Amino acid sequence: MTRLTRREFLRTSGRSAGLGLLAAAGVAGCAPALKGDFAPKTGRRVVVIGGGWGGATAAKYVRLGDPSIEVVLLEPNRRFVSCPFSNLVLSGVRSIDSLTFGYGGLRGHGVRILHASASAVEPDARRVRVGEGYLQYDRLIVSPGVEFQWEQVDGLAAARDRVLHAWKAGPQTVDLARQLEAMPDGGVFVLTVPPVAYRCPPGPYERACQVAFYLKTKKPRSKLLVLDANANVVSKAGLFRAAWKDYPNLEYRASNKVVKVDPSTREVTTELGDRVKYDVVNLIPPQRAGTIAVQADLVGTDKRWCEVNHLTYESAKQANVHVIGDSTIGLPVPKSGNIANAMGKICAVAVVHLLNGKEPPPMAPGNTCYSWVNDREAIAVVNAYKVEGGKVVQIEQKLTPGQSAEWAQNAVGWATGIWQDILG
Amino acid sequence: MRTTIRLVAGSLSLMTGFAAGASAGPLDVPGATKALACSACHGPGGQSPSSTIPIIAGLAPWYFKKAVEDYATGRRPSPEMEPYAKYVREAGVDDVAAYFAAQSRQPTAVAVDAAAAARGRVASQQCVVCHGESGRGDPARSIPDLSGQAPGYLRNQMLLFKADRRSPGDQAVKTVKELMKSVPDDTIADLAAYYSSLR
Repeated sequence: MTRLTRREFLRTSGRSAGLGLLAAAGVAGCAPALKGDFAPKTGRRVVVIGGGWGGATAAKYVRLGDPSIEVVLLEPNRRFVSCPFSNLVLSGVRSIDSLTFGYGGLRGHGVRILHASASAVEPDARRVRVGEGYLQYDRLIVSPGVEFQWEQVDGLAAARDRVLHAWKAGPQTVDLARQLEAMPDGGVFVLTVPPVAYRCPPGPYERACQVAFYLKTKKPRSKLLVLDANANVVSKAGLFRAAWKDYPNLEYRASNKVVKVDPSTREVTTELGDRVKYDVVNLIPPQRAGTIAVQADLVGTDKRWCEVNHLTYESAKQANVHVIGDSTIGLPVPKSGNIANAMGKICAVAVVHLLNGKEPPPMAPGNTCYSWVNDREAIAVVNAYKVEGGKVVQIEQKLTPGQSAEWAQNAVGWATGIWQDILG
Repeated sequence: MRTTIRLVAGSLSLMTGFAAGASAGPLDVPGATKALACSACHGPGGQSPSSTIPIIAGLAPWYFKKAVEDYATGRRPSPEMEPYAKYVREAGVDDVAAYFAAQSRQPTAVAVDAAAAARGRVASQQCVVCHGESGRGDPARSIPDLSGQAPGYLRNQMLLFKADRRSPGDQAVKTVKELMKSVPDDTIADLAAYYSSLR
């Protein structure tokens, strides 16, 4: 553990009396002494829940938009691990370390980071509960990502530690790569795709490519079986199906929703009653908005996702609370990292305007989404949008005409740029 | 006090990766908010940190507007840029062009092989005729600035010129395409390294 000089600590601990506590609490992580109003608000404050693609971007851009606004980011994880590109860890093309970043850049912008989880939101009192204490806000930005609906698959809740999702990049990504590596040649890898809507529409199919590529090169007698709850490949269908011609070891079954898993017999059961044996299973569970969004009553009648104003991302249900990223619904956009980043910027600009008594400018998101089909080629879909009558509408969607190393190079360029945009 | 210092140090020791990056500048000028969609790929303020995505900070408005128009109409084919160019036209190309023109442009941070850059310098005799010794081009003759541009982008554009895949039929790039036809791919990579290394 590095020692800090007194001067460095003072610089870190910052201006307000509450910040020393914030810093200490962020370190402790385990039942910190967070009681009462543990960081009293001295000026205007934005609290951001979640330091992923949406939240980290929003936190940074509120500071860029108006440095007089205090920004506190609540994020339990110490490190940011990129979901985009994490399928490449399964094939051994990328390491998880190459996708893992610190939050130092955000601190450089004056964002105060508390490595803790928000346990509740009290919109009427404009405060977020953390541990036994709370933080006050003028505006709250909620970017909690997705939570899994474990109960939708029989046997899954009890088998969480063995049946991996690897759908939040991190330890599970590495563990799934190890399971794949340890699988005997001749084994069956079963990948299950949840029903829409879920995080990253093309993600499961990119993962299928990476697993099939790995098996083809390293375990040629093995097979990948994709059991898709949906009636067809959800995104870039033609491009993925073309890519799969290189993978005779990949069998794709549409409309095969998995409803049960039994790790003791290494078997999944589909809605149709088919029982499928596996050597390794990667079960991507059905999803809904992150838990804090449900607890804060931000989800709609579907009890899964949050409706928002298209210009400000303010919740349709709670004033002064904004929701961005995968938790949202109602805009004609995918649940992608690029969209979360775009929403983070737009929401930050809106919040800065609103806190300064100005009308937010109409801004539309954009979506650039690459998928790797082997170790050197990628495909992409790009969506452009505009604002019309207060709503986001699509201008155009464009697909790459095929797969190529050129798009893969651009994918690396995109990742390098957007990681910098979020965290740099 | 010492205990507190250690606790704080623990949180900081894990913080590596990005330094505080280039500022996107004030966000209350018209072009700034419209240009925010661009920073995902082109980096904050258009200062692309990658090899293959071009730096558009400090780009001359005439070049920016031509590129947007060519992408939007499909004259310069790009599945990525065609939708975004249409977005820029919707948002207001003049505002966005003015915003990027006003951003101070830093040379690419992507390091290139010094030997490749040296070979590129030797091979650049024809390029100098239009782009000048400095590589900065000549706006009066619609010759763009190549100096300090991202090396992968320069290389890919030269390859596209060579294969006549960039803006087919565009008279403005006819000369460079003729020239590129005779340049081996390895030399193209050297030229990209050289021009990206110019300061």
